[in-house]
Amino acid sequence: MELNTIKDAFDRVAKKQKLSTSKSQEVIDQVGHELDQALTNIQSIQDPTSPADQKSILMELKAKLNAIGPHSQLEGSQKELNINLSKYPKSLEKTFNPDISKAYRNVDFDPHIVNHIIASHFYRVGLFDVADTLINEAGEPEVISLKSHFMELHQILEAVSVRNLEPALYWVSTNRESLKHIGSNLELKLRRLQFVEILQNSTQADALNYARTYLAPFASLHMDEIQKLMGCLLWAGKLDRSPYSELLSPTHWETLAEELARQFCSFLGQSYESPLSVAVSAGLEGLPTLLKLANVMSAKKQEWQAMKQLPVPVDLGKEFQFHSIFVCPVSREQGSEENPPMLLPCGHVLCKQSIMKLSKSSTRTFKCPYCPLEASVAQCKQLYF
Amino acid sequence: MDPDLILYLQTMEMETFPNGNSAAAPTTAAITAVSNSAAATATATATPSSKLTQLAESLKLEHQFLRVPFEHYKKTIRGNHRIVEKEISAVISGVSEAADGGELSTDDAVQHLNSLVSRLQGLKRKLEEGSHTEHLQAQRCRARVDHLESADADNLSEWNNTRLKRILVDYMLRMSYYDTAIKLAESCNIQDLVDIDVFKEAKKVIDALQNKEVAPALAWCADNKSRLKKSKSKFEFQLRLQDFIELVRAENNLRAITYARKYLAPWGATHMKELQRVMATLAFKSSTECVTYKVLFESKQWDYLVDQFKQEFCRLYGMTLEPLLNIYLQAGLSALKTPFCYEDDCTKEDPLSQESFRKLALPLPFSKQHHSKLVCYITKELMDTENPPLVLPNGYVYSTKALEEMAKKNNGKITCPRTGLVCNYSDVIKAYIS
Repeated sequence: MELNTIKDAFDRVAKKQKLSTSKSQEVIDQVGHELDQALTNIQSIQDPTSPADQKSILMELKAKLNAIGPHSQLEGSQKELNINLSKYPKSLEKTFNPDISKAYRNVDFDPHIVNHIIASHFYRVGLFDVADTLINEAGEPEVISLKSHFMELHQILEAVSVRNLEPALYWVSTNRESLKHIGSNLELKLRRLQFVEILQNSTQADALNYARTYLAPFASLHMDEIQKLMGCLLWAGKLDRSPYSELLSPTHWETLAEELARQFCSFLGQSYESPLSVAVSAGLEGLPTLLKLANVMSAKKQEWQAMKQLPVPVDLGKEFQFHSIFVCPVSREQGSEENPPMLLPCGHVLCKQSIMKLSKSSTRTFKCPYCPLEASVAQCKQLYF
Repeated sequence: MDPDLILYLQTMEMETFPNGNSAAAPTTAAITAVSNSAAATATATATPSSKLTQLAESLKLEHQFLRVPFEHYKKTIRGNHRIVEKEISAVISGVSEAADGGELSTDDAVQHLNSLVSRLQGLKRKLEEGSHTEHLQAQRCRARVDHLESADADNLSEWNNTRLKRILVDYMLRMSYYDTAIKLAESCNIQDLVDIDVFKEAKKVIDALQNKEVAPALAWCADNKSRLKKSKSKFEFQLRLQDFIELVRAENNLRAITYARKYLAPWGATHMKELQRVMATLAFKSSTECVTYKVLFESKQWDYLVDQFKQEFCRLYGMTLEPLLNIYLQAGLSALKTPFCYEDDCTKEDPLSQESFRKLALPLPFSKQHHSKLVCYITKELMDTENPPLVLPNGYVYSTKALEEMAKKNNGKITCPRTGLVCNYSDVIKAYIS
């Protein structure tokens, strides 16, 4: 982002602030100097009983201080500083959106729900002690089961990051049946990585032993894979120069860690991405459009607070697209159970209501609005996305 | 003007004739639809450059991020300057007193001047400390600008993670969960990017108000007098009213009256009604059952003062009145909310599949789409021109990628995962969705 104007504006403030400080120091020194002078003068008076001399010294001091005019000196530098101090916020307002709450609807979020969401988020990202502090401070009940599950996940992933697969294999073995049920080959992938590790760091015999014990059970389903791994045995010690060198790539570890996390979360009935992070990211993407809309609608504040559907689309990236939404290109209505999308014989899709209108309630054939092909309602087919 | 907004205004026009002749004019609708679909494909195949424009847009939301440390800096500068002015004035008037006053012995004069010298030395020390603080705060302001500038395509996901953490720290601070705020900031090393220091000032006042003490809040008002006056704040008045009520509660009626003369009367011109209502408590006492006055003695008045203070405090520092988290969550949930989110088969990846998020989203509007966005049931990928939707004989639609893959694995046979129907890959037809 281009922030040079902001930086320049700030530099001017900082410069004037330094000037103003050194001016203050100067003034203090001047005053101090005069005071010292007067002190020496008084102390050097020979005759201590002559108050007249003293008095004149003090009068002189007063006059001198007046001549320095410390206040006007301070004011001068302060004035310049003030100008810049008030300019900077203005340039901020110009570059940034000064009020991002303009599109905010006055509804209160229940803080217990929000706190619960945040605590779960902290568990998920492994900030367990921050979560504990929050639960403590906010007086919320602890979500113990979620916490222990995510602790297990983080232990597994931490171990994987130092190439220790034991905790991961333990989890896989305790959930073997369910994993099989969803057709997951996570265990084979783990065993494969471990086999390659053994082959790299240990003897051929060890690797072969390992393969007999742990890889053999996969033979019926994954023969190709196992043949490939057995082939590796021939290149023990120089796997990096073998046709199988690809197996050494560290990306296998990364993708495995991700897949592990995904399946672990899906077993918990949780999403892979933190829902809080998804919702906030969607907000960061969507808010600029909403703010523009709020500006246009500022005259109709009431309406904004009450509307049941946003009046404009807020385009989010495809990572936020969780549902199929069909919008009829003719009526602009969103598809629904009552008004489902229908496939015309030409392959174009309209909603049922539009088709009914075009066919005058299925009393006659009609032309597709996109191509000249004629169609009748009977030829149209309902679609399920 | 933004294309979305133009479209919005167009639809507004169209909607002024509900169920008019929209089907009679399919061509115009089709034309807009076509131009929309062009826009749709453009956004669907999001290039890095469009990601960057999006980033630039979202960076514009960071006003508070730069404003708050600046206000803090400004406050320190002003405070330091005030000290210098005050002390210099004191020294000068000290000299004037000695010069214009009566006779002084030499010892007295020397002593007097010495005290002024040490006062100046004290000031000098303070100034040094002050300018050190100013320096640190200026650095913080700069660090914030640099942080915004550092966001680019390469570090985007990490930067966004930090951003979420900043937003969460902001939430903790506003909810007065200071320990959590500090812990979170420390664990991610983002102390310079959050405003814990600023909120320490607020904490003092809030703690006191929760202990039913107004003094720190009044001191805060005095500190920020001119700015509160400019925003026509009546917070000080509300504090004074509460103070008065406490005197009445203690049946310290004479003191209450003196207090009212001194501190409440000046607000009479602008807030007569409230003033009168509170004065009437002298007649009703704290044990009253009269509802109008009974509420004034309730302890929730103090909670109300805390809320009021938080608002004034945020306004003074240029912060939004609501936590950033609530603002972003609200925008995000509205943008994500569709009728499908509330169905049982809603995917887990959608935050709105969770009960907690559904509850938060309940009072928020649904999102709106101007063009179809179709997600393949099998791969969860977007079905667009790159990966067009294919229709099975039973009307179920899946992406080309998914069905090709399935056909390859099963000798050209397709099994519909939702109905179990088996058909040939050659039986599927392409659907054109605009």
